[in-house]
Amino acid sequence: MGSRTEFSPQTLSVLAAMCGQPSAWQHGYALSRETGLKSGTLYPILIRLADRGLVEARWQEEPVPGRPRRHLYRLTPDGLASATAAMAEAKLAEAERTEAERARARQGARPRRERGVAAPVVP
Amino acid sequence: MRRLGRAAAAAARGAVRTIPAARREWAEAVWAEAHEVPAGWQRLAWRVGGLRLVAKEAQMVRRTGILLLFAAAAGAAAWGAWPGSPVSHGAAVQGGIIITLTLLAGLPMLTRWRLGPPGSRAARWLRAGLYAAILVVMPAQGAIGLFVGTVPRGGIDRHTFDVFQGPGVPGSSSGGPNWGGEIGILFVTALYVAVVLALTARRTPVAPATLAIGTGAGLLVGAAMYTLEPLGLSPKYPTRPWLHGSAAEAVVALFWILLFGAPLIAGVIAGWRCHVPRDPEQAYAARVWQGFAAGLVSGGLGAVFVTVAGAGTTALLLRSAWVRNLVYHGQHLTASAVYGRELYASQDVAAYVFLLAAFPLVGLVMGLIGAGIANATGRRAEAGELTAPSGC
Repeated sequence: MGSRTEFSPQTLSVLAAMCGQPSAWQHGYALSRETGLKSGTLYPILIRLADRGLVEARWQEEPVPGRPRRHLYRLTPDGLASATAAMAEAKLAEAERTEAERARARQGARPRRERGVAAPVVP
Repeated sequence: MRRLGRAAAAAARGAVRTIPAARREWAEAVWAEAHEVPAGWQRLAWRVGGLRLVAKEAQMVRRTGILLLFAAAAGAAAWGAWPGSPVSHGAAVQGGIIITLTLLAGLPMLTRWRLGPPGSRAARWLRAGLYAAILVVMPAQGAIGLFVGTVPRGGIDRHTFDVFQGPGVPGSSSGGPNWGGEIGILFVTALYVAVVLALTARRTPVAPATLAIGTGAGLLVGAAMYTLEPLGLSPKYPTRPWLHGSAAEAVVALFWILLFGAPLIAGVIAGWRCHVPRDPEQAYAARVWQGFAAGLVSGGLGAVFVTVAGAGTTALLLRSAWVRNLVYHGQHLTASAVYGRELYASQDVAAYVFLLAAFPLVGLVMGLIGAGIANATGRRAEAGELTAPSGC
């Protein structure tokens, strides 16, 4: 509801983390640390992105002895394009929201409260 | 901690087998990655997340379970409704059963292709409720159908009908297959299924809250109507065993108020709750959609509730002493007297088709009026507010 992008905020955070090194293969735990998402949230997002052809996955070829092979992920060219566009759109939406809040504050109106979310304090 | 971790590991290894092969590598990936997570609570939390993933992916198995459940329920309904060999109108009934089940199985696929899958939990529950109602009505309709068209020898006041020796013997009614009646029932059933599937599909701009509001209003209307007429839709005494005189009049008044008022209020509330776009025309369209859906669902669900509960009670009357005692509590009627009343109630079965057509129309009109009221009195989208892409 709150965003015009087709991705949820959590998915956007995963895409943003993967955009940092688009050509590098990344591990699930590294992505989890970077995004702050738990495994039960992160992996369903990766699955959906892979289903849509935005993320590719493969198994590690040479595992560390005594450890199981790890699953690796990176953005596809389509994924990189979608991620870049979605993040730009999210940034624009955030800017519009901030501008609207400022306009309301200038008019002396009380900041609107989103459902279940505290209204931001406007200086 | 180690024991907990080992227990979670064992649970996950077993659970992984319940998800489809194409998804299994993802569960195994979470598991392999757990070795990189620091031991202790962090690793345990990671593994619990893996279990959540498995539970989520296993929904595909759940879908198969739902399909099997539908097949079993449809089979049981067909078995209960299938007419016996002496029934001359059996061909029409058998055709009706087969076509109804084909519609129930095929229409969701068509809707999914055109409008997408159900968009919310409320949508899934509404669909499941309608399917359950149709599958319950089928055998009830079969039981009542045995009595439709039979002619009692005595009046209702004599409390007895000697139908088994009369010209109209239940189970062997003359007059040939009632194709017209079956086609009418099939048309209404197909219309209800198609409308509910369309309203609950993801690409239809109807909010889950609208479906919930419409469902609540519909249950109220249906409950009031059923309280009034548990055995059919006749204002005469035999179909109204537990309400007499002024008590009935009060419920009649309440029913009329609810029939028109519940969809109206549902339309207003659904319109108010709607997250409206900034553009006035889009906002108006969004509210009209919510009012339309809330009104239609409330009227339609009210009619379905009365049909299922009424037809079910009528069908159970003769077969269950418990139901007889519940409906005619303290009246100590003989089985033949009860049979006579059941027979009387079954003569009004055609009225259900009228009710199934009339209630949604009333709901639709009142819901749209409600949407108009909501549009005139609801809040406007504020400047800078982000808009919903598809109504609500």
